[in-house]
Amino acid sequence: MSPSPLCKRRGMVEKINENKKSLMIKNYFKIALRNMWKHKTFTFINITGMAVAFGAALLLTLTAFFELSFDTFHQNKNDVYQLYIEQHHANSVDEGSTMPIPMTPALKAEFPDVVHITRYGDFGGSALRYGDKIFNDDVRCVDADFFKMFTFPIVNGSTINPLADKNDIVLSATVAKNIFGNQNPIGKLIELKVDNGWKSMNVTAVAADAPKNSSFDFGLLCRFEQFPGYDQNINEWNSQSHNVFLQLPTGEKQAVFEQKLKTFVQKHYDASIKQLIHDGAKPDNNGQVLSLHLIPLTDIHFSAISSQSRAISKFYPYLVLLISLFIMFIACTNFINLSLGRAFTRAKEIGVRKVIGATKTQLIVQFCSESFVICGISLILGVIAACIFLPQYKLAFNQQVSLNILASPAIISYILGGFVLISLLAGGYPAWLMSVGKTAQTVKGKVGAGQSSSLRNSLMVVQFALSSLLIICTAITWQQLNYMRTKPLGYNKSEVVSIPIGSNIDPEKALTQMRSKLSSYPQVVSVTGTDMNLGKGLDNSSSTSIMSFNYKGRTVSTNWLRVDYDYVKTLGLQVVNGRDLSRSFGADSTMVLINQKMAEELGEKNPIGDLLPTDGAKLQVAGIVKDFNFKSLHHEIAPLTMVIRTGWPINYILVRVKSGNLASSMALINKVWKDTNPHTEVGASFLDENTERQYNKETDLSKIFVTGAIISIVISCMGLFAIVILIITQRTKEIGIRKVLGASVNNILFLISKDFLKLVLISICIASPIAWYAMDKWLQGFEYRIQIQWWVFVITGTIALIIAFVTISFQSIKAAVLNPVKSLRSE
Amino acid sequence: MIKITNLEKFYRTEEVETIALNKLSMHVDTGEFVAIMGPSGCGKSTLLNILGMLDDPDEGSYVFNDIEVAHFTERKRADLRKHNIGFVFQSFNLIDELTVFENVELPLIYTGVPSAERVKRVEEVLDKMQIMHRRNHYPQQLSGGQQQRVAIARAVVNKPKLILADEPTGNLDSSNGNDVMELLTDLNEQGTTIIMVTHSEHDARYSHRIIRLLDGQTVMENIMI
Ligand SMILES: Nc1ncnc2c1ncn2[C@@H]1O[C@H](COP(=O)(O)OP(=O)(O)OP(=O)(O)O)[C@@H](O)[C@H]1O
Ligand SMILES: [Mg+2]
Repeated sequence: MSPSPLCKRRGMVEKINENKKSLMIKNYFKIALRNMWKHKTFTFINITGMAVAFGAALLLTLTAFFELSFDTFHQNKNDVYQLYIEQHHANSVDEGSTMPIPMTPALKAEFPDVVHITRYGDFGGSALRYGDKIFNDDVRCVDADFFKMFTFPIVNGSTINPLADKNDIVLSATVAKNIFGNQNPIGKLIELKVDNGWKSMNVTAVAADAPKNSSFDFGLLCRFEQFPGYDQNINEWNSQSHNVFLQLPTGEKQAVFEQKLKTFVQKHYDASIKQLIHDGAKPDNNGQVLSLHLIPLTDIHFSAISSQSRAISKFYPYLVLLISLFIMFIACTNFINLSLGRAFTRAKEIGVRKVIGATKTQLIVQFCSESFVICGISLILGVIAACIFLPQYKLAFNQQVSLNILASPAIISYILGGFVLISLLAGGYPAWLMSVGKTAQTVKGKVGAGQSSSLRNSLMVVQFALSSLLIICTAITWQQLNYMRTKPLGYNKSEVVSIPIGSNIDPEKALTQMRSKLSSYPQVVSVTGTDMNLGKGLDNSSSTSIMSFNYKGRTVSTNWLRVDYDYVKTLGLQVVNGRDLSRSFGADSTMVLINQKMAEELGEKNPIGDLLPTDGAKLQVAGIVKDFNFKSLHHEIAPLTMVIRTGWPINYILVRVKSGNLASSMALINKVWKDTNPHTEVGASFLDENTERQYNKETDLSKIFVTGAIISIVISCMGLFAIVILIITQRTKEIGIRKVLGASVNNILFLISKDFLKLVLISICIASPIAWYAMDKWLQGFEYRIQIQWWVFVITGTIALIIAFVTISFQSIKAAVLNPVKSLRSE
Repeated sequence: MIKITNLEKFYRTEEVETIALNKLSMHVDTGEFVAIMGPSGCGKSTLLNILGMLDDPDEGSYVFNDIEVAHFTERKRADLRKHNIGFVFQSFNLIDELTVFENVELPLIYTGVPSAERVKRVEEVLDKMQIMHRRNHYPQQLSGGQQQRVAIARAVVNKPKLILADEPTGNLDSSNGNDVMELLTDLNEQGTTIIMVTHSEHDARYSHRIIRLLDGQTVMENIMI
């Protein structure tokens, strides 16, 4: 307790006061515990509700903080940015973070005050050789500045400049342990698989593993000079392949530097700018059609532009925090409502205490100590529950949360702050309300009943509105997910298996071998290859190639897809015009298939036979296939061109199997693939699993909504249950009289429930428009989406009413069937 | 109208078993005004509750209007009750949250009388009880005598054949008490059967017949002339 001004006296007096105080506090807690014991039902409901809420809120808070903590561990986080380019077209804006190789040297030369700059290229999952052992790990290519900009501490080896030489390589601690065991890796040579053979690299350092909340993850880091295609593209401004990060001098504003980049862009992108303007580009507010911009390091995780991120919208962690606050609010509402309700049944006790001489402060302290005890127990139970359920939570929600975050001062103060606030509010407010009442009135037990019930009602409305909101959100996300899962995509997704080829086998050879091996099995219909997976495979990668070329004086952009023979057959696509690519025509490497959108884009009446000047050749349109959703349903179907050109390596083998016994077909394919590529690490998967995986983020969101909804409903109902008990206790006599006068059980049930059901109805009316607005916003993120139906709200409302009614009925029926003789006797 | 034979009622608590009514037999004819008297705890209220079908007997028979009701279900009893019986209590038992008018209206709502008819009948009976001017007051705003008049109004508004009154004057001074007794006598003269529990010999004199109970048994019946 903080010393009150009352006891700022000297010597003995102070001492005695101190003693008295500690005695008093002990007394308060003793009474608090006794009171809790006396009202076991309420104590149980309060503690369970609060503990569940604390536990759930804790897990959700950890999730949110984890997401928000991405890339915040870098010392230079405030000065480091990622570069991206913005191009304005006539009707659209392209933003991309991949950069051409000469960009970085040019920036370095022209902006000497930029502190550090590095390229960051994905070498891809790559094979490594040490002695005769082969490993597979992620290799990234960076410039020497990388370690100066980012905080990935070197734990072993050269700390000054680990990538000083072109052939230097840095391992992550895990990879080092994997390859070298307990040996010291520094100075050892390992071999890296490159296009045509193995290349020796010198291990100079071991860096600590990137933390889980890092946008960068790497097994090995080598110099950017090793990046595939480095030499060919060293002066190529039109080939984008990697990300660029730079560190501005401390204090330099992002906008100031972006302004400086204007002249840089004009100098190096002159031709592109002219072409864009020629094609009718609409300039941005600064009058630019092509411009370079920066994303702050700590925003990268949330950026849809950066190819470095998982593009989680920042809205997502805040939403999670919001839901955790909802849950806490609902639990606290129960607490406050029950305290209020009981305070009025305890009005007499309080009045008597006041008459005897208890001061207002003493009464408030008495109440607060009760709420502190209850909150304290709940918090402890909640933390324990959170620890117990953490593994399940991580699994179910695909979250990487760890309790380590708990140690951060921010989180601890957030939790403790919340705890104190809740205890004070929940205990203090009813106490204050009671203690300001006039003593005479309190003794009669008639203090501000109206005041408290309107507060109680508003709190309950908010409580149920939050629950309804979550139910509606659950329903709508579920509908959208279901819609995406069942919408026909224009290709066969249930009978096609996709195999990620990986880096340790020649892809064309792998395809040929698989074709011949699988041809002898009757359940295999056809085999083909492609460079872009449909959906998201077990390799978790997704890529897009976009090709732009000049077609009859206009720039035409198209998605570019490497396919192989039988692509159409394998996926069950439909050729609507012209013919499929086929071996029987010999030179089909100069022929292309386009989709209907592309045909539209070309603007020809009959584009069959048209020549497309692209990819260093003149490619002829052989056929048009019906549009299919080759990307997720977030995106509209875009123009697509399919080629069989070996300059574009295939990355995936697609196998169409007969319907029926899909599991055994899958087992067969996996076995044959294992024979073909013994080093394979990622398995094959059906395309419908892949498309499902595309919506992981949405699935996670819907899971969070469901859990939030369930928890808030359960807690709200516990509160409702307790309040009904209170109300019934207060109305026992009335119920008895009504029964004597002929009220039936239903009459009584209606009598008690109608007030509450009214509140629930109001909550639904409040929640519905909010939910509609928010979910409509969310649905805007999907090119293909459901319409929000009015009946969702009706059904949700009905469900909420039913749940509330059942909760109320439990106690009400008990009260309604009670023999009125008993309730009237007790008067 | 009422005939009970060998009626028994026990109350079991954890340790003791109380015999509240012990093989009690009696009958009440239509149009009678009967007073029940006896020392405290002898089972008067218990008897009244059973007669009012609020409670059921453990043994014996209870014939109400030629129907055996002793083993009726709760629902059937409630149905019979709300159409035939009105109650008046010592402590009035008005609902504090409802006005005088709403209190009196309540039995009509539960018997499903349409709204217009309800207003008419409530006003009629409030007029008769001379509390029409208090129709929009709440019970706490009334004196004890007025409250009991409201309670009687509520008991008769449904035109019951039987009124059961448990010490209706117990909480009233003698002048208010006499008023209440006059009201009951009037009702009885208009044909309503009345059974009243009382401790007051003075009040009992308003009745036609006094049944005296002791330990759950009839000990004596006085017939007044
Ligand atoms: N619900 C009950 N549980 C246990 N015992 C009961 C119950 N109701 C009544 N009794 C007992 O039954 C006996 C008769 O009670 P009853 O209320 O009928 O008495 P009474 O004659 O109305 O008394 P009074 O004149 O004081 O109102 C008493 O001994 C009482 O203690
Ligand atoms: Mg009695």
